Amino acid sequence: MRYDTIIIGGGLSGLTAGITLAKAGQKVCIVSAGQSSLHFHSGSFDLLGYDADGEVVTHPLQAIADLKAEHPYSKIGISNIEHLASQAKTLLSEAGISVMGNYEQNHYRVTPLGTLKPAWLTTEGYAMIDGPERLPWKKVELLNIQGFMDFPTQFIAENLRMMGVECQIKTFTTDKLSTARQSPTEMRATNIAKVLANKDALSKVSERINAISGDPDALLLPAVLGFSNAESLDEMKQWIKKPVQYIATLPPSVSGVRTTILLKRLFAQAGGTLLVGDSATTGQFSGNHLVSITTDHLPDEKLYADHFILASGSFMSHGIRSNYAGVYEPVFKLDVDAAKKRDDWSVTNAFETQPYMEFGVHTDKDFHATKDGKNIENLYAIGSVLSGHNSIKHADGTGVSLLTALYVAKKITGKG
Amino acid sequence: MAEGIQLKNISGNNLEQCLKCSICTAYCPVSAVEPKYPGPKHSGPDQERYRLKDSKFFDEALKMCLNCKRCEVACPSGVRIADIIQASRITYSTHRPIPRDIMLANTDFVGTMANMVAPIVNATLGLKPVKAVLHGVMGIDKHRTFPAYSSQKFETWYKRMAAKKQDSYSKHVSYFHGCYVNYNFPQLGKDLVKIMNAVGYGVHLLEKEKCCGVALIANGLSGQARRQGKVNIRSIRKAAEQNRIVLTTSSTCTFTMRDEYEHLLDIKTDDVRENITLATRFLYRLIEKGDIKLAFRKDFKMRTAYHSACHMEKMGWIIYSTELLKMIPGLELIMLDSQCCGIAGTYGFKKENYQRSQEIGSRLFKQIKELNPDCVSTDCETCKWQIEMSTGYEVKNPISILADALDVEETIKLNQ
Repeated sequence: MRYDTIIIGGGLSGLTAGITLAKAGQKVCIVSAGQSSLHFHSGSFDLLGYDADGEVVTHPLQAIADLKAEHPYSKIGISNIEHLASQAKTLLSEAGISVMGNYEQNHYRVTPLGTLKPAWLTTEGYAMIDGPERLPWKKVELLNIQGFMDFPTQFIAENLRMMGVECQIKTFTTDKLSTARQSPTEMRATNIAKVLANKDALSKVSERINAISGDPDALLLPAVLGFSNAESLDEMKQWIKKPVQYIATLPPSVSGVRTTILLKRLFAQAGGTLLVGDSATTGQFSGNHLVSITTDHLPDEKLYADHFILASGSFMSHGIRSNYAGVYEPVFKLDVDAAKKRDDWSVTNAFETQPYMEFGVHTDKDFHATKDGKNIENLYAIGSVLSGHNSIKHADGTGVSLLTALYVAKKITGKG
Repeated sequence: MAEGIQLKNISGNNLEQCLKCSICTAYCPVSAVEPKYPGPKHSGPDQERYRLKDSKFFDEALKMCLNCKRCEVACPSGVRIADIIQASRITYSTHRPIPRDIMLANTDFVGTMANMVAPIVNATLGLKPVKAVLHGVMGIDKHRTFPAYSSQKFETWYKRMAAKKQDSYSKHVSYFHGCYVNYNFPQLGKDLVKIMNAVGYGVHLLEKEKCCGVALIANGLSGQARRQGKVNIRSIRKAAEQNRIVLTTSSTCTFTMRDEYEHLLDIKTDDVRENITLATRFLYRLIEKGDIKLAFRKDFKMRTAYHSACHMEKMGWIIYSTELLKMIPGLELIMLDSQCCGIAGTYGFKKENYQRSQEIGSRLFKQIKELNPDCVSTDCETCKWQIEMSTGYEVKNPISILADALDVEETIKLNQ
């Protein structure tokens, strides 16, 4: 089987590159091993939330200019960031993912525990805040579904109160929701989203909410709507008399599942081929050129391509692995940037910056991966598998995924 | 040595790799509609820890699992969730199959009996009083349309009409036709013989073929499944000695023999596993290698929507069937969203499962009706029953579409 480009990894980065290349007329195949870390999505996308000193970033472009040379943004170059950032927003909206915000100035998102974190783009309808001292509400009601455990209302309320917001907690249920509750382990955001995909069930919920809500500035609801499209989020807003804002829940994340489904659909529409539940096992090299790869399900098949992109994620997605001997990239055994000594991988205080979080595949300035010190001319790495960034410390994860994907896609099509 | 310890630390069905991320629960078709089902994560890796301590933790609700394997396809950590669930049913369930289950599970015995009196059986199974008895006494849902039984078995047709000339070809394959082709739809088998003969291959039956046993496993008759599986593997081994690859036209039979025999029934298959393959895969690979060529009718026109059967997705072989279909010039192929149709073999025939089965498939049925294709295509026969009954659209195996579109004379010329 022969393709123009083969992408290993079907998460945010792989799908973004895949869509861009397929739309440019390329024959693209994505090999995807299981679902991605988008399922832990906060409902927001980050560009750069914190600088090297851990200070909150207000103007991402300025702070990006100060990042060290190894950071993926520095390789992309500050002059390209603006353009790629607006391209990312366009691609999301084309897939049906409506977001608010811009790259010039960060806003804040509300976490599932009720704290505020800087963000670049936030899903339409989710709570979006200018700053800790500038909350849009004086008085809110926090509404939860009875028996839904992944929305810790006490934490959220306490955090909001500390910021000076009067916050009342109320719970509600409907017949359909109590039925769903029979299996407590399955009372998760994604399953509730499936139950409430039914219009009747959704209208019953809005009736209940209208019946119990008082007169706050806003009703804050858990983000449990819209499994495969955003219709029900909008419907609910129309049916409820008070202004509604959604707050992300603990995983699995409904916005993440929706983003995944919508991006996959756009990729399929653009003519891309997606191999699901399959993983790349090895590559066949000729000098510094990757000729083909083999996958788990197609062991006697060689998948050939002119270009390859590694978008296999970090430790959690097994794009990077470790054992007692060291940190390694499992498919091609590419060079990685990682501390040699095991003692240097982590620090004792769990809340400190952990060195292993910056470990990843080593690349040159154009994101070519290297193997045994040699550049592989047609193999690129993008997204979380890259070294030199830290999605927790810098809040740069989704931005690196989107922007490196778009940047490399441009390199491949010769338009970058 | 350190690495050695890590390599040895492998748990049954990758149980210990579960991160508890709950992504599987988001893709379980049963959890979405049945709150009494504890869901894949809980039924699989979570409860398995308890079951290993004491069998009393086994929960009969696990019989609600469809064994569709969509949890495994979604799992980012390679945990064989559905295998854990099915293996625990085999080990711990004390539930004895009722006569209805035994009847549904013994597809070949019932098929043999029904073939003898096919016109009577087909007519009576459609009658309201008979359906009422099946529903009330046997527990087979009255809404369910039984697949029609053919009056001539495929094997009988083969022996009378096809067997003689098969030795005249220079290359040979064996064919595991399965119960469906033999008793219900011999045309699919005839279509395969037509294609293989046209490209210069003789098609032979196995020395002895039994039902693959998928329905026996699902209905708690694993002992009988193991005995039948051993007969099949012995025959497949004999075919291998004659250098004959064993072709199939059912994704589920293929998956059962290649993977479930070893994972669930402890049948040793590693020496012949690669000799069992889906006909579409076999053909695609011959075409790609340039060993055979297909010529198609110029007047063939069809717009078909492809449904990704669960076990086909699990095997990762959808690409073979769809790439083959794409070779037909007059064919327009639309990919349906990949989701379970709800039948899961004999599952949807049971009174207690009928409603759940239809709810699971409802989104798929809606999408098919909206697209309004000439026909639906899929590699699974039970999906065919379910989709035909629930949408009214005809469902065809890719092999039948290929046989329809084939210019036989031209193909024979190309392959001489």
